[in-house]
Amino acid sequence: MTSRLMVRVLVTLVAFAVLARIPVGFDVGFKFDSGLAVIWAFGLLSLVLLTGYVGQISLCQATFAGVGAYAAGMMTATFHVDYIVAVAVGVAAAFALGIIVGLPALRLHGITLAIVTLGIALVFDRYVFQDHAFEWFTGGTGGWSVREASMFGLQMDSSKHLMAAYVVLLALFCLVGLLMVNLHDSGAGRRFRAIRDSELAAATMGVDLTRYKLLAFGMSAAIAGLGGAFYPLVAGNVSPQPFWLFTSLQFAAIAVLMGVRYVPAAALGGAFMAFVPDVLTRFGHGSLFGHQYEISYDWFQIAVGVLLIVQLIALPDGVWGDLRHRVRHARSAVGALGGRRVKVA
Amino acid sequence: MTMLRVRDMTVRFGGIVALDGISLDLNRGEILGLIGPNGAGKTTLFNCISGVIHPDRGSIFFEGHSLVYAPPHVRARFGIARTFQNLQLWGSMTVEENLVVPMDALGRRNTFSDALYLPFSTYAERASRERARAILHVLELDRHARTLAADLPAGIQRRVEIARALAMRPRLLLLDEPAAGLDAQETARLAELLHAVRQRFHVSMLLVDHDMSLVLRVCDYVYVLDFGKLLARGQPSAIRSDPKVIAAYLGEESKQSTGETTTVVAAPKQAAPLLEVKQVAAGYGGLEVIRDVSLQVRPGEVVACIGANGAGKTTTLRAISGMIHPRRGRVMFAGIEVTGRTAERISKLGLIHIPEGRGLFPRLTVEDTLRLVSNTAGHEVDITPAFQLFPKLRERRRQLVGTLSGGEQQMVAMARAILSRPRLVMIDEMSQGLAPSVVRQLFEIIRVFRDEGIAVLLVEQFVESALDVADRAYVFEHGSIVLSGAAVDLRSDRKLVAGSYLGTAVETPAMAAADGNGHRVDPALMEIVSVRVPAKVKRALEQRAEAEGRPTGAVAIELLEKVDRQ
Repeated sequence: MTSRLMVRVLVTLVAFAVLARIPVGFDVGFKFDSGLAVIWAFGLLSLVLLTGYVGQISLCQATFAGVGAYAAGMMTATFHVDYIVAVAVGVAAAFALGIIVGLPALRLHGITLAIVTLGIALVFDRYVFQDHAFEWFTGGTGGWSVREASMFGLQMDSSKHLMAAYVVLLALFCLVGLLMVNLHDSGAGRRFRAIRDSELAAATMGVDLTRYKLLAFGMSAAIAGLGGAFYPLVAGNVSPQPFWLFTSLQFAAIAVLMGVRYVPAAALGGAFMAFVPDVLTRFGHGSLFGHQYEISYDWFQIAVGVLLIVQLIALPDGVWGDLRHRVRHARSAVGALGGRRVKVA
Repeated sequence: MTMLRVRDMTVRFGGIVALDGISLDLNRGEILGLIGPNGAGKTTLFNCISGVIHPDRGSIFFEGHSLVYAPPHVRARFGIARTFQNLQLWGSMTVEENLVVPMDALGRRNTFSDALYLPFSTYAERASRERARAILHVLELDRHARTLAADLPAGIQRRVEIARALAMRPRLLLLDEPAAGLDAQETARLAELLHAVRQRFHVSMLLVDHDMSLVLRVCDYVYVLDFGKLLARGQPSAIRSDPKVIAAYLGEESKQSTGETTTVVAAPKQAAPLLEVKQVAAGYGGLEVIRDVSLQVRPGEVVACIGANGAGKTTTLRAISGMIHPRRGRVMFAGIEVTGRTAERISKLGLIHIPEGRGLFPRLTVEDTLRLVSNTAGHEVDITPAFQLFPKLRERRRQLVGTLSGGEQQMVAMARAILSRPRLVMIDEMSQGLAPSVVRQLFEIIRVFRDEGIAVLLVEQFVESALDVADRAYVFEHGSIVLSGAAVDLRSDRKLVAGSYLGTAVETPAMAAADGNGHRVDPALMEIVSVRVPAKVKRALEQRAEAEGRPTGAVAIELLEKVDRQ
């Protein structure tokens, strides 16, 4: 084990320990938000791999999460399997869909690929998730409701399941995030990044584009599906609304806003997506200087748009990316002042 | 023993035949040169061999394997590596990582063991990095190993491209213009490097380059392409003196003999220059393409810029018209300093730039394109004069510009230019990709421009035709002007001009000193000696002249005499 890997593992463990304690003591609403934050963070993490590492564009990441959610919901509600099995089935379903979506990406680039994935998101949003033909999968108009589930044989009842789901989710996110950071610096990650920087050079230097692009789409969909598969447990039911087209677009926008190449940015973005709208609806009304004001959820959308424009001008590498550069810059400047060499890896 | 056998290779892009039945053989251990003017199909042939595009007809065999249906990465595993004309390094990785990627990709490493840092992966990684460093050492790139590839100057990036190709342990190396943007000295070092690479890594090479001095120095055998067809093949020395090859590069020797040049109206020599470029340097990113370029265009004068590809002609035009900002030096137009002004402000002063590729809008009709001039001029412009000048365009006035032939498109671009009543038109590669008969018509139009009192600055591949129509000309080589003078004089010295294309570099250290544009050089000297000297020698001469307070010409003559005595 290299020392760099040791540091990473330690940082991840500390982050997990701190984050796992945060929702304790807050009300159920905040606990729900915490669970949701990790689910959205998985969605953003899937874009870190697909867009940040491999340079492919996808506007249907929420669809992958939705497929994971519905598959997990179906497995628990219909077959009453252990929830971990349901999650595994959800991830597998998302992975399969990811491979299928990856097929057009072998030929398409940029804006055309974006449009195709947008079309897929629209088809699932309007047709698959809401049509009678797929009731076996979506559980009809009411969706699946998951009142009770057992995980690793432990019964998760309604009073405890939110915290339990959150801790399991967080642990999985930390693990997958760590793997992703490692992947970036590993040989496979370099092959992915080679495709991003120059597909032409990658192909002629021996990188099998078919294999790696499909792998990237499959892995990305699986990551999004992993988060989505926990949605029934966190929310207690599955409905099409959280996984509609607009969530996919929001994933893309917030991934860019926070820094699409960085794993921690996904966590930051997930928290942003889950907490900010809730805080706005909770505390967004009152009076200021005698004027009544009412901030609704719609303001969140506007805020994202405005922040995105500001970010693209002021922080082109995303909030996390640019902060990181600045901290490193400052650190090496301090190192130079103190006459001590600081390694900026 | 034949290593690569290409037979009857044909590639069409739409209606254009990029390669027309090319056959080629490359023996093991050989360095094969592939030359030809722009658009001859060299890069297309490279793309076919490396699998980036698939030919419409023909076969490729490499060491006995048929490659026609093999995807690029399979060909890479067979041992075919390549570099790219427009650099394709992975910019976000370090130079060392750039070399490790192809090694890993060919070693079929496992994605999951990589991400888990399993011992198998870390061991393989360490071995790859060690080999990468060994290759970088041979190519003298050690100190750049940990630099991000995107941060390197283009010259170094080209060398990294070669290193990355070598990292694949190739048996055949395809080099696409490795000398582009290098100066004479760097090119000479590249030639040595390629010889060293052949010896150390036992690779065969296929080399495309415009720099003939490199091709002739390095290659064992040369194929010449022109318009997708094989024009000639043979030993480098034979190719160099092949009249067909010289004609392909310089254009047909014109019908007009040097004697009957009376049609050329001598421009008023005393008139103040309309355009004055003073010691301009410009480039892109880390690459400085032109250094110390000075030239003048007087009102109503036709001036030609000639020289090999990559010599800096196009960059000079761009620096003048404001498409790129000069890094040093000044550009004066009609007595106004325009250095660093934006392109649209410069064009409003009456300086029109027709770029390479003509800068037209393919989805507008001919008529609408011409009407757009009113927009720039700020008032309604009558477009009928354009149709009088180009009757063909009247028939095609409702046709979309994108559907016109190349020659007709060039006519539209020139018609658009003349409608805005410019004082100077700069035309980049006017005859590129056009048939000779069309080119002849276009040169007639240039004469019309001059008769109308419009000055023309012309960048041209067909040197003979350009010198026929021009009053004066500047010859570019490696980003500087190495020769200038009246077109009549240059035309009579065809060999000299050919030298700048075919790399017959001067044998004596300095034939003369000249500043390209004539100033700071003893005018008498311009008359008596030909003026061809590498930019570095020129600069040294100037420095010495300045230090001693004498004219550059006098220093040059003294040096020449010294050489003669020895």
